[in-house]
Amino acid sequence: MSEEVLERIVSAGINGIKKAELKKTFGKNCDNILQKLIDAEQIFVEKKGIAYFVWARDDYVLYLSQNDPKCKIVLSMAIEQSRSADKVNKYANIETINKIPQQNVAGQESDFKSEFDRRLTESSTSIGWAPFSDIRKKICDSKKISPENFYSMAAELVERHKERYEVSSGGQEGIVMRGLVHGYVRNI
Amino acid sequence: MYAYQLENNPYPSSPTPTEKDARILGGKRHKEAKSAILECIKELCNKIGGRDSNDGDFRVITLIQDVGSGKTHLALHIKNLQSRHNTVCTFLDLSTISPKAMSSLYNAIIKGFENEFFVQLRTKLVEYIRDRAEQGDNSAKKALDYSFVNKLSGLTIKQKAEEIISGKAYVSVENIKKFLVQWFNYYESNLIKNIITNSFDTVANLEELLGMMAAISKLTHRFLSKIVLYEIDEFDGNQDSIEFVKGIINAHLPASVVLLISTPSGYAEIQGKSPSVFDRLEKANYKIDLVGSNSQEELLEIVLEYIKHNDKKGKFTQKTQDELDEKIRVLYDEFPEFRSVRSIINILYHAMEKSAELDLEKIDETAIDETIKHTYPGLKVRGSIMAVPISDFISIRRTCEDESTGTQLKKAVTNLVNFAHEMGNIGKLEKQNQPLDVIYQDPYGSKIGIAVVINENHAKNFEEISNISKSSALVDKLVILTNSNLPSSESTIIINVDKSKMVDLLYFNNRYVDHKIGSFDNEKVQTLARTVNII
Repeated sequence: MSEEVLERIVSAGINGIKKAELKKTFGKNCDNILQKLIDAEQIFVEKKGIAYFVWARDDYVLYLSQNDPKCKIVLSMAIEQSRSADKVNKYANIETINKIPQQNVAGQESDFKSEFDRRLTESSTSIGWAPFSDIRKKICDSKKISPENFYSMAAELVERHKERYEVSSGGQEGIVMRGLVHGYVRNI
Repeated sequence: MYAYQLENNPYPSSPTPTEKDARILGGKRHKEAKSAILECIKELCNKIGGRDSNDGDFRVITLIQDVGSGKTHLALHIKNLQSRHNTVCTFLDLSTISPKAMSSLYNAIIKGFENEFFVQLRTKLVEYIRDRAEQGDNSAKKALDYSFVNKLSGLTIKQKAEEIISGKAYVSVENIKKFLVQWFNYYESNLIKNIITNSFDTVANLEELLGMMAAISKLTHRFLSKIVLYEIDEFDGNQDSIEFVKGIINAHLPASVVLLISTPSGYAEIQGKSPSVFDRLEKANYKIDLVGSNSQEELLEIVLEYIKHNDKKGKFTQKTQDELDEKIRVLYDEFPEFRSVRSIINILYHAMEKSAELDLEKIDETAIDETIKHTYPGLKVRGSIMAVPISDFISIRRTCEDESTGTQLKKAVTNLVNFAHEMGNIGKLEKQNQPLDVIYQDPYGSKIGIAVVINENHAKNFEEISNISKSSALVDKLVILTNSNLPSSESTIIINVDKSKMVDLLYFNNRYVDHKIGSFDNEKVQTLARTVNII
């Protein structure tokens, strides 16, 4: 019975339903049921004109937000605050998203560069030149990366730091520039 | 008349340098390398001045650098300076000798000397024999073919020697051998005979070759007080070359400097094929390092040096230098093809020719564009959607770092949106609402906002982007074009505008403003609009 009463009230929507109408439908016992629902804050009762109207909880909030000026103001302030909080959270997330990949990319590059420099120093002759193949073997072993990946990163590193590295043509493998395999590298 | 009112094209055009080309040497690194070689020569000259040379008076210099970096040019430049530094020099290009038989190598060494060297040495040698003859040495007289009849006719020994020197008389080949063996070793005797008779014997093996080289060095020092510089180019892992060089180093040629020129790849070949030679090279007295020989600054100095050297009228002012400097920097940055001395010199040779053909006052973008079209026909601007001609690319790219770039790009993006609207790719345009630069509706009615954030200072970019992102509520989709490398977020699409994209946008804008966008450009412009998320 209680559920039927609640269903009827919900079906009335934002306009609500007259208490008298409910009494007609569900009899005099419905007063007790309504009281229980009021206590449980599932429904709200308010006098509109000369009649008492009943709303389900959500519909009542909507009704107030559209008809009660005080409630309108309070609600809009609350929503604004909630939005601001959301935005703050969202920007915080964006910044985190922005920072993480940047840090990852920068970290990877710097990591590769320091490893590359170390291996270059190890492999070079007295004149400073070292075969890319030697460096590639060492870095691929230690970093577990493919030769293709290594040369892609090495080419990017050399291009990005033109003033730091010098490459020379020849050799069986290396980075390709001007259509030539450049198999030797050194620090400037 | 060439650009800068030069009467001749200052740049060489041959694929490898000639001695004439090598008279000019530019670039800090190349000049430092030159100083180092001359220092070695000077040190040896000082050490052996005023005494006989011995096998301790031998130096090895290595010069290892990539192809096209100016090694040969430097070696030939040093050769050109020989008269100023008490040196005689022979240049030997091993790549031109095949098979590398000992006789071929010897011939190449002899040919590598200037003829003037043999003329001087021959004169000194004949004068030596003359002196001996005047002191009463009969075998010397016989060597000069100074006969009793000569004496009776009143011809003096001095006059006879002068006739021999000038080619009017000849020595007695048979008697000169007998004379020389008394005073010189086997190889020295042979060499003197060869020089005086202007006829060089061949050599059959490495021992004879090294003997003759030692004789050249010894006699040069004794009679001309000069040291010999052997420049050996294109030394690599060829077995014959390795044996030859190993022999030279082990022979300790007196009063000699050997300059070995190779590439890192050739050096590695030698390392693999002959550890003993490699070890000797590693312990060379001087290792000339042309590090950074292909760096931007070095190339610029070299390129400008050619014009400065030929600028007799003083038309190559600082302003014109700076203008050319900027163009070359763009070429260097954007085209790896032009990052070597050889390639940039080649481009400038052709650009200079083009300047004469078009009667240009200076090498401008057009001359470079025309040159590249002809000499590098397949060369395109990397990543250019608008197929920007290289001349426009150079011109726009130079201004890409100006403060006004941001403003220009905002105009370009606005015009790109206008274009997309004219083409029916997007819906209606809306009134601009700061901080967004353009607002429009896409075909589905969603409101799109675009902001351009271009600053040299990336921290400023981050700050601006952060502020603009707060305006995302104004539109359904916010697009930010920036030169900072940032990822997109849920609410904002970030488009990274690199230099290539900047040039594309600015080139489009120039053409759009000048009403030069033809129907054949439509597809390219639409692609460009897609890359910046307008369409």
